[in-house]
Amino acid sequence: MALFILRRLGSAVGVIIALTVVVFILQKISHTDPVHALLGPGASQAAIHAESVKLGLNKPLLSQFFHYLDGLVHGNLGISYRTRRPVAADLVEFLPATAELALVALVMAIGLGALFGLLSVRGGIAARIFRVVMLLGASTPGYLVAFAGLVFLYNSLHILPATGEASPGGQFQTGFVIADNLLAGQLGGAWDGLVHAILPAFSIALVPAVSIGRVFKSSLEGTLRSDYVRTARAKGLSERRVVAFHAIRNSVGPALTMTGLQLGLMFAGVAVIEEIFAWPGIGYYTAQAIPVSDFPAISGVTLVLGAGYVLINALVDIAQSLADPRIKL
Amino acid sequence: MAITGIYQSGQVSGGRLSAKVSEVVAQNSKASLAAALLPVAVTLVALLVPVIAPYSPLVPAGPAFVPPGHSGFLLGTDSVGRDELSRVLYGMRASWFSALAVIASGLAIGVTVGAVAAVAGGWVDALLMRITDVFLSLPGPVLAIAVVAALGPGLVHTLIGVGIVWWPFYARIVRGEIRALAARPHLEAAKMSGVGPVRRTLRHLLPGTLPALVVTASLDIGNLVLTLAGLSFLGLGAPAPAPELGAMSARNLTFLLQDYWTAVAPGAGIVVLALVGNLAGDGLRNLMKDR
Amino acid sequence: MRRVRGVLPVPGWEDGMAMPGNTGAPVASVKGLKVTFERAGEQIFALRGVDLEIAPSEIVALVGESGSGKSVLGLSLLGLLGHNSKPVVEGTIEVAGAEIGSLTEAQLRRLRRESLGAVFQDPMTSLNPTMRIGKQLAEVAGSAEACVELLRSVGVPDPARRLRAFPFELSGGLRQRVMIAMALAGSPKLIVADEPTTALDVTVQAQILELIRSVRDRFGTSFLLITHDLGVAATVADRVVVMYGGRVVETGRAPALLGGPEHPYTRALLRSRASLDGSGPRRLSVLRGEGVDSHSDLPGCSFAPRCELAFDGCSATPVLGSFGDHQVACWRAGSAHSPFPEDDPGEQAPAETPRSRGLASVKINDVAVSFKVGRGGSQLALKALRGVTLDIEPGGALAIVGESGSGKSTLLRAIAGLAPIASGGVEIGAGGKVQMVFQDSGASLTPWMSVEELLEERLAVCGVRDRQERRQRILEACDSVGLYRQLLPAKAGQLSGGQRQRAALARAVVVAPEVLLCDEPTSALDVSLAAIVLNLIADLRERLGMTLLFVTHDLAVARVVADHVAVMYLGEIVEVGTTEQILKDPQHPYTRSLIDAVPESGRLPVPLKGEPASPLSIPAGCSFHPRCPSALAECGERPQILKVSPLSRGHFIRCEPVLEELTWR
Repeated sequence: MALFILRRLGSAVGVIIALTVVVFILQKISHTDPVHALLGPGASQAAIHAESVKLGLNKPLLSQFFHYLDGLVHGNLGISYRTRRPVAADLVEFLPATAELALVALVMAIGLGALFGLLSVRGGIAARIFRVVMLLGASTPGYLVAFAGLVFLYNSLHILPATGEASPGGQFQTGFVIADNLLAGQLGGAWDGLVHAILPAFSIALVPAVSIGRVFKSSLEGTLRSDYVRTARAKGLSERRVVAFHAIRNSVGPALTMTGLQLGLMFAGVAVIEEIFAWPGIGYYTAQAIPVSDFPAISGVTLVLGAGYVLINALVDIAQSLADPRIKL
Repeated sequence: MAITGIYQSGQVSGGRLSAKVSEVVAQNSKASLAAALLPVAVTLVALLVPVIAPYSPLVPAGPAFVPPGHSGFLLGTDSVGRDELSRVLYGMRASWFSALAVIASGLAIGVTVGAVAAVAGGWVDALLMRITDVFLSLPGPVLAIAVVAALGPGLVHTLIGVGIVWWPFYARIVRGEIRALAARPHLEAAKMSGVGPVRRTLRHLLPGTLPALVVTASLDIGNLVLTLAGLSFLGLGAPAPAPELGAMSARNLTFLLQDYWTAVAPGAGIVVLALVGNLAGDGLRNLMKDR
Repeated sequence: MRRVRGVLPVPGWEDGMAMPGNTGAPVASVKGLKVTFERAGEQIFALRGVDLEIAPSEIVALVGESGSGKSVLGLSLLGLLGHNSKPVVEGTIEVAGAEIGSLTEAQLRRLRRESLGAVFQDPMTSLNPTMRIGKQLAEVAGSAEACVELLRSVGVPDPARRLRAFPFELSGGLRQRVMIAMALAGSPKLIVADEPTTALDVTVQAQILELIRSVRDRFGTSFLLITHDLGVAATVADRVVVMYGGRVVETGRAPALLGGPEHPYTRALLRSRASLDGSGPRRLSVLRGEGVDSHSDLPGCSFAPRCELAFDGCSATPVLGSFGDHQVACWRAGSAHSPFPEDDPGEQAPAETPRSRGLASVKINDVAVSFKVGRGGSQLALKALRGVTLDIEPGGALAIVGESGSGKSTLLRAIAGLAPIASGGVEIGAGGKVQMVFQDSGASLTPWMSVEELLEERLAVCGVRDRQERRQRILEACDSVGLYRQLLPAKAGQLSGGQRQRAALARAVVVAPEVLLCDEPTSALDVSLAAIVLNLIADLRERLGMTLLFVTHDLAVARVVADHVAVMYLGEIVEVGTTEQILKDPQHPYTRSLIDAVPESGRLPVPLKGEPASPLSIPAGCSFHPRCPSALAECGERPQILKVSPLSRGHFIRCEPVLEELTWR
């Protein structure tokens, strides 16, 4: 068991190293010249040369890579062309808001996915309705859901706020609005944060929820046809107990794996939605960086999110193997 | 005492219901076939867009912000008076062909890598699969954004960026299917029959990966259309005047609350394309399951 | 065919307590049951009007081939029909005084919980893989003490500790015991056991059958034992019910019915079954025609299309009527005897036909095969074969028998070149062309290629270039294996089980091989189909002069196909000799136990203790000693060597004590 965990974590570290190589190569082939971008168009020849030497650009490629790696280990992700601040500092500022939004979205996606899966194996009218809902959910871009929410829930009905992660004057230390307010005992503030998060989180969560629901549904269907579920029924157990104790337990594995995968696929949606709702997170940061070709910012985001994603999926795998009695090493 | 009916459900009916069931089943497979053929129809329509579209997608055709259905503009006009319908149609055409292009390149790379890995085995397999795993265990959209940002914006660069992250799925599927098929007795039977390794691979192995690939690829049309729209929304696509669905929605976001159609109509175009992909994938899966 | 008219020596029969049919109302009673399913838009007639009664503490064996409707009848009694497909049901099912059709879902569950138990075929898939045994038992038994008591009552050693185990940690036999314990919870009146021993080895099967018998004797539980195996039915059942095409065709006390069957189908089934009786390779008598068409309503007698006695009157549905000491549903019941002479052709030895071609011998010289299992640091070597030496003369037919894990299939695969040989070698005389027939013939045909393409490919590989000649030889091969020519464009998925096996055989012999390897080619087939395939293989061997190696777990099949038998245990041959020597005068304790465990009409199987050890952890010394009924102290220390018997050349035994005893005889 310990061996399996070590091997899984080891491969995660390997992937992260591969990721740094990829990002380094992208940086090299990037169409923006870092010296030019940092110094601006009016810089003198001497200044350009001095800056290149400072960045180590005159050294061989391999030593540049180790220099880059060394910087990464020490938390140096470079300087953003746009904000003129260290990318690491920017990320520390923007990451919490995204983490909070992603967490709310993830909870929604899992909840909706479980609902989709459970209701669509039951058959009848409900299953048919859910089939249509899932088909539409899987075919609708998140921003269209956001548009609909803005037009109806904000503009027409005034139920939900349009932008930001808190109302003006809201009190919070970091980007974790809900968490900060909860810790400070400010239930009103936490509620305000949650209300702000509902529409963007739902817009992000819909597509992943359908993917999770589909996988959960098909694995649940397989389990419900299995011999041991027939045994459970032959024992005279109630259908609820059969589903809850025998079927679901053996069906969540694939759904869990899908959830881990969706975390990575969600990001394009996160960037779009944060842009729409002016949500001060990493997606918004990325969306701002793209039009001005702020490559250090984008590569920093890529490294941090990539590493986080790899680690989360490693943890999902490990959790799953711990839960399955058949895997023993 | 005697029971005539259906277990569990308690409905009392006999032959009538069974006739209905068989009708539904027959219709189902017909519907599946129709759904599976939808992409072909969409491709034909996409080819004909220059003929069908009433106006040019780039040149203003009337006043700005004409609401849908007025003055002959079915979907209205945008902020500079271009016909929204024509722009959406051209945008859909671009999205559709982009998605197909990425799938084609993904299949080409993925099938090659997966098949070579599975058939060669040993260190070739280990190396190719390690590379595939690295790509698979990185978040695709993030990587795609980084690639496009490095290459600079533009439709071709976006396609390259997405293409780079899209093949590993297919490589995995092909390798997995081939490995599973290779463990089946029919391969040993072919070997006993004296069939050589090349023919064994081409005739007894590869055709078996087709169903899984076809279903996955068609379900991917929807995913790709959505992913490309997202990137385009962020500005990673063809530059400004080009009719791109994601970018159109993004640029018209400011008009959402007053002139909603300018932002919503391109999104609806995406929904139509993604629906076609998802319906086709489901239909194909049903057809394959029946066989 | 042996005809036993007297009472069989069956335990529990004499002492009266388990005497069936004399203790009040039946625990289950089925009247006029018709079940029709809907699949892919077509109707499937599963049951076409079945009457059945099960008395308290009676073991009823429900015997039939696939498509007979026996499993559907079992599920009907459990009220479990409607869960995955919604069938149309007519008729009445009364279980433990309750009419199933009129119960609500909650009442039905209560009935299952309190009065019914179920045991299914594969105990591995029938137990929840991620739930501990104790918890699965507790769902029906309640307290932990009750669970321990249940496990003890079905002979699970160390029951308290087993409660913490997961199903995958138990052996196949123990798993099935756990299933039976679960079925016993709540003291049910009736347990439906659907092929409970089919997935088990023959020695373990004998243990489970004994357990079923003892459960009935101790608790007075009735059993409906669904089986395709007449031998199983004969050894445990009080009464046998034979089904064909969704109808009961014959029922009666086990000894009377199996000793003197009246219905033409029962008679044909008994005669086409390979048994340990008789001598030498022989042909089995076969049923003509195809199985039942489940898509048509089949008014009249289901069996009429295949029946040799059928006449116009058979278009009316026959009802069960008393005939002698049992009941038969046949219009010709009285006249059933005459057309079957005792010396029917099925029993005759095959006529010697001149062999036209050169024959190949097979020499297997100290072959060892091992596989690596697990990965990384925890890699283990699975010793599948541990030095096997065999010499098969040209044109000989050797049956290799053994239980799971004996290495019998690996040996065949090593000869075929499909398993990596670690040491030793295989030498095939003459041209040395080898072909193989696989156990799962459907899976051995490439699913997307037609039969014709597969045969054509084989011919092309063997250098037959001319298209005309290829076509000609394909048609000839078709005819020689009895495959309809119209089926040539069909793919595996469109063929029935029997047709697939014929297609696989056609592919193997379209270019005649010198050696034919068969890996359990009949184990997945119904009795009547197996008989056809066995005959076909024997015919082809005669005609083409092939040397035959035939792997089987079934000693009776070995008796029918082979002139020599090799018995394997944990990767070694423990005894080898002529079929006569091995089956009539077995010497090695394992061979004896194996033969004793075979369920046959007219005798009780004697179970061997324990289950085959895993090839991953082979016991030291004689690998059989932990299970050996006559093991001596030194057996655990000394590995045994295969030596020639002092009584007969060509008979080899791997057991020193036995060899010594024989020397002094």
